[in-house]
Amino acid sequence: MTQPIAFLDGPWWPYLALVLFAVLPTEIWRWLAVAFARKLDENSPWLEWVRLVATSLLAGVVAKLVLAAPGALAGVPLAVRLAALAVAVTIVLAWRRVMLAVLVGEVVLIGGAIWLS
Amino acid sequence: MAPGGGGMTEAAPNQWLRPWARGFRDAAMLPAWIVGLSLMGVGTLARDVGYPVEAAVLSTFLVWAGPSQVLFFASIAAGAAWSAIALAIGFASLRFLPMTVSLLPLLRRPGQSVAQQMLIAHFVAVTAWVEALRRLPNIPPEQRVGYFLGFANALIVVSAFCTYAGFHLAGIVPTPVAAGLLCLTPIFFLSSMVAGVRGLGDAVAIGFGLALAPVAGWAIGGGFDLIASGVIGGSIAFLIQRWRKARKAGA
Repeated sequence: MTQPIAFLDGPWWPYLALVLFAVLPTEIWRWLAVAFARKLDENSPWLEWVRLVATSLLAGVVAKLVLAAPGALAGVPLAVRLAALAVAVTIVLAWRRVMLAVLVGEVVLIGGAIWLS
Repeated sequence: MAPGGGGMTEAAPNQWLRPWARGFRDAAMLPAWIVGLSLMGVGTLARDVGYPVEAAVLSTFLVWAGPSQVLFFASIAAGAAWSAIALAIGFASLRFLPMTVSLLPLLRRPGQSVAQQMLIAHFVAVTAWVEALRRLPNIPPEQRVGYFLGFANALIVVSAFCTYAGFHLAGIVPTPVAAGLLCLTPIFFLSSMVAGVRGLGDAVAIGFGLALAPVAGWAIGGGFDLIASGVIGGSIAFLIQRWRKARKAGA
């Protein structure tokens, strides 16, 4: 668990941390887009690289959340977590239906958790 | 020409209220609930690291980016350094730059203020962006801003409600269902990323991201592992895509 920065700690810390480390690094790109919208070429290879790095980063988040699972999810066997992901991906590849994939993946996970506990 | 167009006072409700309401309704029919479902897990994650429900709901209104919110709460749970958390979120949000740049021209109006453009830009996130690019070209230009804001407002209000629900549900549902709430985020992210694959580069980026993150976590740790695996995986995907394009161009 990441601890608060000592001299900024207090009852407002969660909100301060949220604004400093989540809102600003996210919102800045939207503001920069407004500032540079007329100058940037949206097809430049630089932006393509950025998009692929972001995609890879997000896939990494998925892997971390499933492998080093937080809270109650940690109590579900790893095989069940991986099976839920695999089923969801298979459904997306076969039918392109994200909602259906999420629902069936959840059924596999919750079902597996009940069955194996 | 818009029918009956002309005077500002006469045209105002037609340009704002009705398109706004139509956008709101279109989003509330289904897209808002899909986004909401993905942000339900954020509420659960926030509770898991001991943050108040207000911070979770506020993150939906102010950050308005599922991946950033998940990175924030999941990294705190993993004990990452604050600088690493901000850097990872910055990198994951870089995509908003090209996304916003490509959306703004569709919503540009004569004499539009910077404040209005910043308001529009704040609502740019995956679903609002994909749907706006698909729907806006069929809407008269003077109604687009109203429609887009209505659409985005429905997404954000429903999602804030779902974040709140995810936080509180985690405390009252049986353990397997709580596990299911926490797993909503990875399943939703991976599914929508796979659905959005447009070429070999995307697929390679996802594959390397999944495979490298655990390796980097073991080799580097401290939260910078995610950035490292993202930059390496994304760069390999980028090089492969360039190489394929060059070969196609040469053949």
